[in-house]
Amino acid sequence: MIDFVHVVKTYPNGTVALNDITLHIDDGEFVFVVGASGAGKTTLMKLILREEKVTSGKIIVDDVDITKLSYFKVPHYRRNLGVVFQDFRLFPKKTIYENVAFAMQVVGTPMKVIKRRVPALLKTVNLSEKSKCFPNELSGGEQQRVALARALANNPSLIIADEPTGNIDPKMSLEIMNLLLKINKLGKTVIVVTHEKNLVDYYKQRVVILDHGTIIDDRVGGMYE
Amino acid sequence: MRRYRVSYFIGQALQGIWRNGVMSFASIAVLMSCLVVLGAFTLLVVNINTNLENLDEANKIIVFLDYNLTEEQIVDIERQIKKIKEAETVKRITADEALRSLAKRAGENALLYDDYFKDNPLSDSFEITYDDVKDLTTIEFELQSIEGVRKYRDQRYIVNLISDIKSGVLFVFLWFLVMLFIVSVFIIINTIKLSVYSRKNEISIMRYVGATGWFISLPFILEGAIIGLFASIIAYFVEEYLYKSLVGSLGISIEIITLIPFSELAGGILAVFIIIGVTTGIMGSSISLSKYTKK
Ligand SMILES: Nc1ncnc2c1ncn2[C@@H]1O[C@H](COP(=O)(O)OP(=O)(O)O)[C@@H](O)[C@H]1O
Ligand SMILES: [Mg+2]
Repeated sequence: MIDFVHVVKTYPNGTVALNDITLHIDDGEFVFVVGASGAGKTTLMKLILREEKVTSGKIIVDDVDITKLSYFKVPHYRRNLGVVFQDFRLFPKKTIYENVAFAMQVVGTPMKVIKRRVPALLKTVNLSEKSKCFPNELSGGEQQRVALARALANNPSLIIADEPTGNIDPKMSLEIMNLLLKINKLGKTVIVVTHEKNLVDYYKQRVVILDHGTIIDDRVGGMYE
Repeated sequence: MRRYRVSYFIGQALQGIWRNGVMSFASIAVLMSCLVVLGAFTLLVVNINTNLENLDEANKIIVFLDYNLTEEQIVDIERQIKKIKEAETVKRITADEALRSLAKRAGENALLYDDYFKDNPLSDSFEITYDDVKDLTTIEFELQSIEGVRKYRDQRYIVNLISDIKSGVLFVFLWFLVMLFIVSVFIIINTIKLSVYSRKNEISIMRYVGATGWFISLPFILEGAIIGLFASIIAYFVEEYLYKSLVGSLGISIEIITLIPFSELAGGILAVFIIIGVTTGIMGSSISLSKYTKK
């Protein structure tokens, strides 16, 4: 459960990226966040990730006000989130298997658990046979699926995807979206930032529309109904 | 149960050193020079101190008596001098002995002294030795109250000269050292910064998946520590080489100076080098990370 309560985010240079955002997202929801470039979508994601701090207002995630989280508690908070970026951010010198395993090593997961879990994750994103490949041997869509497997590695309850299909051709985009929906069906809350209107229309999910830092619409279904 | 492998951190640290080879090398070289200078200075001071202890000339006062004193008077003065607690040894030198030693020192010109032996212009004197320079003032104060003491001469100037040299050397070396250490820390800061920069993608992923601050920082701290360790071990061997070649070339020509053999100081030097080297390395990387880890 995520609650934004009158959130304002002003960057040090004076740009007001988000202005009085109040938003409620339930556990297990699938939400599209759309809006023109510069509307504040990425800023919204960064606030949830606690990469940026709010200027005023509160963000409550699972009953915890994350704006008051101490520096030392942020890493543990983040273990409950999975993130996917437009540019994949895989390690070119690590294999697919190692890329996914890395996310678990970093939080101290025992080797035994990693060995069992990585193949299962790669199966979820339909990449079992590519586990020994390197990222540059994969298509953009496949690389994004690896990133998705990595986001799922520590079994988070919330997945955040910031324009996950931005660098991928349309056919592959559909595949990524289907995967995100599948993950949502597994019980995880999913927030997807995108500006691909046709995709949003196609899936008929909840859509939050941002414009110049404010929510101008929040409804279920496509954008052009 | 969460477990982290030590090999992971060490591997990452070594990788960092290898990837920024030039900067790592510069850091090691500067820190090493710094330690060598520190070592040279320490060896110098240790050697000066040991040689000062051997230099008995320094802790000596010569007391000259009035002319034409009777033997009884001289014996009485000797008794009074021996009562001074701070006087370690008291040795009488008769006027004849003093003249003979002068003549002997003159060598070929000894003949010039022949006339004097008939009518010795010198007086009897006493040679007093003492333990501590601090006693000098007390002894001299006591001497002033003894009847028949004409004058006395101490070697205070030698003592002062040596301590002046020591503090001068100390001053120059300290400045040199402080500057070198600042440069060392500065270079290490930049080396680690580069290392952090070359791994910034990795770090951003680590942060997103919830790696703790120490997990992210530890490889860089280790990188600094390893740079310090390398620097200190190399510095130790350089120091050993320099010192041994110095002893080799000086040992024969200057016999009045006794140089302490390197092996006697080796353990201490290595330990101090490692402690200072590793601390400097860790300090550099911590400063370099402090801004970054705030986020
Ligand atoms: N780090 C930053 N410093 C200053 N301004 C920023 C920063 N990040 C984003 N902005 C500004 O905030 C506004 C919203 O940006 P962003 O959240 O990235 O929008 P979107 O993801 O919807 O394109 C834009 O005007 C952008 O220029
Ligand atoms: Mg954006």
